[in-house]
Amino acid sequence: MNQRGERIFDVIYQEKIFLSLSSILGFILIWHILTDVLGLFPALFLPSPEKVFFTVYEKITVPVGEEKLFGHVGISVVRILVGVGIALALAVPLGILMGWYEDLDSVTSPLIEVLRPIPPIAWIPLAILWFGIGLGSKVFIIAIGAFFPALINTYIGVKFVDALLIRAAKTLGAKDKNILWEVVLPASVPLIVAGVRISIGVGMMCLVAAELVAASSGLGYLIMLGGDDLKPELSITGMILIGVLGLVADRVILAVERRVIYWKKE
Amino acid sequence: MDGNQSKSKIVADHVSVEYEKDEKNFLAVDDVSMTIQDGEFVVIVGPSGCGKTTFMNTIAGLVRPIKGKVLMDGEEITGPSAERGVVFQQFALFPWKTVYENIEFGLKYRGIGKEQRAEIVRKYVQTVKLEGFENSYPHELSGGMKQRVAIARVYANRPQVLLMDEPFGALDAQTRTIMQEDLSEMFVSEKRTVLFITHSVEEAIYLGDRVVIMTARPGKIKKSIQITEEDLVPNRRQMGFDDVINMKEFLELKAEIWGLIKAEILAKHIF
Repeated sequence: MNQRGERIFDVIYQEKIFLSLSSILGFILIWHILTDVLGLFPALFLPSPEKVFFTVYEKITVPVGEEKLFGHVGISVVRILVGVGIALALAVPLGILMGWYEDLDSVTSPLIEVLRPIPPIAWIPLAILWFGIGLGSKVFIIAIGAFFPALINTYIGVKFVDALLIRAAKTLGAKDKNILWEVVLPASVPLIVAGVRISIGVGMMCLVAAELVAASSGLGYLIMLGGDDLKPELSITGMILIGVLGLVADRVILAVERRVIYWKKE
Repeated sequence: MDGNQSKSKIVADHVSVEYEKDEKNFLAVDDVSMTIQDGEFVVIVGPSGCGKTTFMNTIAGLVRPIKGKVLMDGEEITGPSAERGVVFQQFALFPWKTVYENIEFGLKYRGIGKEQRAEIVRKYVQTVKLEGFENSYPHELSGGMKQRVAIARVYANRPQVLLMDEPFGALDAQTRTIMQEDLSEMFVSEKRTVLFITHSVEEAIYLGDRVVIMTARPGKIKKSIQITEEDLVPNRRQMGFDDVINMKEFLELKAEIWGLIKAEILAKHIF
């Protein structure tokens, strides 16, 4: 092998691309063997990977229901972004205030402790009643689901900031207001970001749940439609896209995390 | 500065402090009275858990005594203030701030302009020998360097009183010796009132104008020993640590103080 080739091989090896891809490729291979090669499952139960691939390829140009494939993806992404966005806009400031002001904590905690265990899915009937089956009800369900993890993480982050740092700030002359902005908030960023990450994950679950129950678009709708029309390849297409979406979201958050928590030990 | 009439900077007047553990109250500091003169370097030594830190925290204003009071310049201390800077054993640097920003922290609240702040930070970065590390983050520094930043941060803030709670306790022996020598030098060039806590008798005698020995918990003052010029050579602050600790006078003082602490440890079975 020439030098250049070796170097590329080194890079690939170091980045562990082969290792990372091996499980996915292996999974597809086994799936292929079970369906196409051995024919253990009828296509109506479990379509082959090839069939799913061609479904994806076809639906990029041919609409399913109201939208083409990426139209459905786009609609789901918008729902997630708006829902999680609203949740974070409410949860992070509230979590900061609750962690910082003990009185507010005492007042709000009981209500939150009662609302928190209610699964977001349980809100679906009310959401449809209040917001119809359009964007509103999906956003509502996603926002409910994403709200609590962000709230709890932010609250804990603020409440349990290293007391030593607060003492240090006080003896350096910082007042309460300075301490909140200059010490407590930066110190709780890692937990807040971790909360955002959980919120996005929960938001995606809520998205699919909401789209399964009442929707005429989105990835959850595709999954449901696949079942209704006995086209499992359509369901699998939806599932794979949600998986990819989740992966992308997680990578984005990790990149953001590395940016804002540059000061943490590796 | 008039050397004849020294004035009291800090007065602790019959101070008792309790702390809570497992919903029980323990007496940590028992009726301690102490006066620290302006410009004096006082070191407290005593067995582990004797309430040294708790006592220092009352002076910092971080803990309120249940009995007695602590005064600075005749005024009762009711809370923390930039006039009483603290160097903590665990450094307590802000990990998201650079060395520069850490040292600058207190200055912003003193209403000092940006340019002047930069000048002050530069000066103290130099004093603690950290040139070139201004833009490093604490996690990139060694323990000794972190404590240098913490000391610079407090010095730059120009508190009237410096409280140092086992500042070198977390450092290895070699680093510790160097830090002691540097602090000793800094104290000569910039005289401040200092209260310093340590476990090390050698460190106490090397640094202190006076060494106060506390009893095991609840902490009381057992004895206060002046490290006067007659007892030790007057310019020991400019001498190396290793040179001082081998002097005859030093060894005698060390034996006396260590004897007092050892008696305390043995009497109360805290080993």
